[in-house]
Amino acid sequence: MFDDIITKSKVKSPWLYHLNTGSCNGCDIELISILTPRYDVERFGIKLTGTPRQADIVVVTGPLTSQSKDRALKVLSQVPDPKVVVSLGSCPMSGNVFKGSYSIEAPLDRFVDVDVSVAGCPPKPEAIIDGIIKAIEILKDKRG
Amino acid sequence: MKFPYAGNALKDFFSKPSTERYPKVKKEAPKGYRGKISYDPEKCIACGMCIRVCSPGAITMTKGEKNDEGQLIEMKFNLNSCTFCQMCADFCPRGAIKLTTQYSMIATDKNELVVSGSFIKKIPPKPTVKTVQQSKAKTEASGSK
Amino acid sequence: MEILLGLFYVLVFPGLLFCFAIGLLLLGIDRKIVARMQKRIGPPIIQPFYDFFKLMGKERIVPNKAAKKIYIIAPVIGLISIITIALFIPIDYFKTFFNNYADLVVIVYLLTIPSLAIIIGGASSGSPFGGVGASREVVLMLGYELPLVITLLAVGMKIGRLTNTAATFSLINIVDYQIKNGPAFLQWSLIPAALAFLMVIPCEIGSTPFDIADAETEICEGTMVEYGGILFGVYKLTQGIKIFVMISLFIAMFMSGIIPAVSSSIFVNSLVSIVWHMALVIVILFIAVSLLRATTARIRIEQAFKFYWTYPTALSLLSLVLVWAGL
Ligand code: SF4
Ligand code: SF4
Ligand code: SF4
Repeated sequence: MFDDIITKSKVKSPWLYHLNTGSCNGCDIELISILTPRYDVERFGIKLTGTPRQADIVVVTGPLTSQSKDRALKVLSQVPDPKVVVSLGSCPMSGNVFKGSYSIEAPLDRFVDVDVSVAGCPPKPEAIIDGIIKAIEILKDKRG
Repeated sequence: MKFPYAGNALKDFFSKPSTERYPKVKKEAPKGYRGKISYDPEKCIACGMCIRVCSPGAITMTKGEKNDEGQLIEMKFNLNSCTFCQMCADFCPRGAIKLTTQYSMIATDKNELVVSGSFIKKIPPKPTVKTVQQSKAKTEASGSK
Repeated sequence: MEILLGLFYVLVFPGLLFCFAIGLLLLGIDRKIVARMQKRIGPPIIQPFYDFFKLMGKERIVPNKAAKKIYIIAPVIGLISIITIALFIPIDYFKTFFNNYADLVVIVYLLTIPSLAIIIGGASSGSPFGGVGASREVVLMLGYELPLVITLLAVGMKIGRLTNTAATFSLINIVDYQIKNGPAFLQWSLIPAALAFLMVIPCEIGSTPFDIADAETEICEGTMVEYGGILFGVYKLTQGIKIFVMISLFIAMFMSGIIPAVSSSIFVNSLVSIVWHMALVIVILFIAVSLLRATTARIRIEQAFKFYWTYPTALSLLSLVLVWAGL
């Protein structure tokens, strides 16, 4: 019974942590825009946390610059299980226009398992909501 | 100490929320939104223009073996490294590429985010080769003028 | 019988179980009100319950650099002390025998413990952000404790004067006096003190614009930076109960005795007064916490400190002087 409550709560209260690994700020702005009155993801119980220790879903933006790579991986490893990693925009998936630069370490899935990828540059807020809902479905089946 | 928004807050508390209930109520992207790429292999002539203008190098073209029927051309649009700039669609001489208004591109594996198409490029018919005499006669004719 | 009743008070009402429910519920109501004020739909009212149970199911991490025992024990001590205060505050006609020990001085002491728990927890987490957050919390405490204490002095002195004793700090006397003679905020010399107390509430519970110690955008949740899982849930719960306790204290000191006794039976009277109390709590939450949270942004630490040592302190001092002058 108690496990059921916890599983249900897991779906109802996913907290986001936003990890910027050198993004151009396009994706960051769109991610924040889903918290605005127009989209308001707080109705799904989503909250933006300031520390990885409280996160359930980590949203990674940016092409993983060499400077941020070690820090980003460190932060990702600090997130307690169960966690879901969402990559936002084309940058973490491939490097986008920065591909081939000496200071870019993308793609992200060379280093960590990425559960959901949202394409777009930047994605439309509706697409981000879709991606997060997908992430919540994955979170449900993960064990802590 | 000023609270310029207190009045607004109280007013909004009793009015309807302005939130769109997105996943329940579907939403159309505005006209001209640059979303998922659609590619029509019937129209393409494999000129390679789109590949030249694509800044992140999202488009790849693989050419098959040449044989009597023609050559197999496969075009791949990697949406996971596309910036949705529409340059390819603007530069395509045949209008084979279009950016649709479909914005929701979600995948659990990034390699699913690929639009591809293939067609067989016909070998153009051999031009009828003129014989040496004919061309000679032509030049003589023009020279005598 | 006495022991069973005591256990009931401690474990069910107004102790552990009730505090758990009302604390999380008030957090949810606050979030919903703020969302509606910002024209959003907002989370369901029981959202903090989901959050709490989810945090229960998360992996428990104690950082390597942390002072482990203190790190784990600090939130629990904060929770216990705040529940103890909840036992001490009488709700109009509802009184437990704990109330006889209730004394404003004891409550002031106990009220500092949850803040101290946050400070100790943050400092023991071994993270520089935690250290910064802890130092900010200390400064805030210095800021709001002064007007809080002066307010309590003013109220104690006023009720003492009115009942012809020197000064009374026993909450039960204060509430009894109000039940007989009408609420204390009708004494106009106490109105500045009541205003000062209302200003202290948002800082005491750490909500915007005074959430400087756990500012998530600048210092990564500050004192809470390393807390995740159930320990963070306990902090959240403590915050929720703190909302209830602070507002209850306000009602007990200034607004009790508004509804007259409806029947001769103590049981019915207490039931009515509890329902009335909850309604008042939500009204005051709306005015003092949610409205402020929805319309303001976080201020800087020295601004907050300056604010508390000017306006609320001046107001409460004014009250004290008026009471002292016999008005
Ligand atoms: S995907 Fe596009 S918008 Fe997003 S960070 Fe990369 S370049 Fe910027
Ligand atoms: S839209 Fe731009 S980035 Fe995408 S495939 Fe076309 S040219 Fe390349
Ligand atoms: S899609 Fe258009 S631009 Fe690209 S190869 Fe085909 S015809 Fe040329």
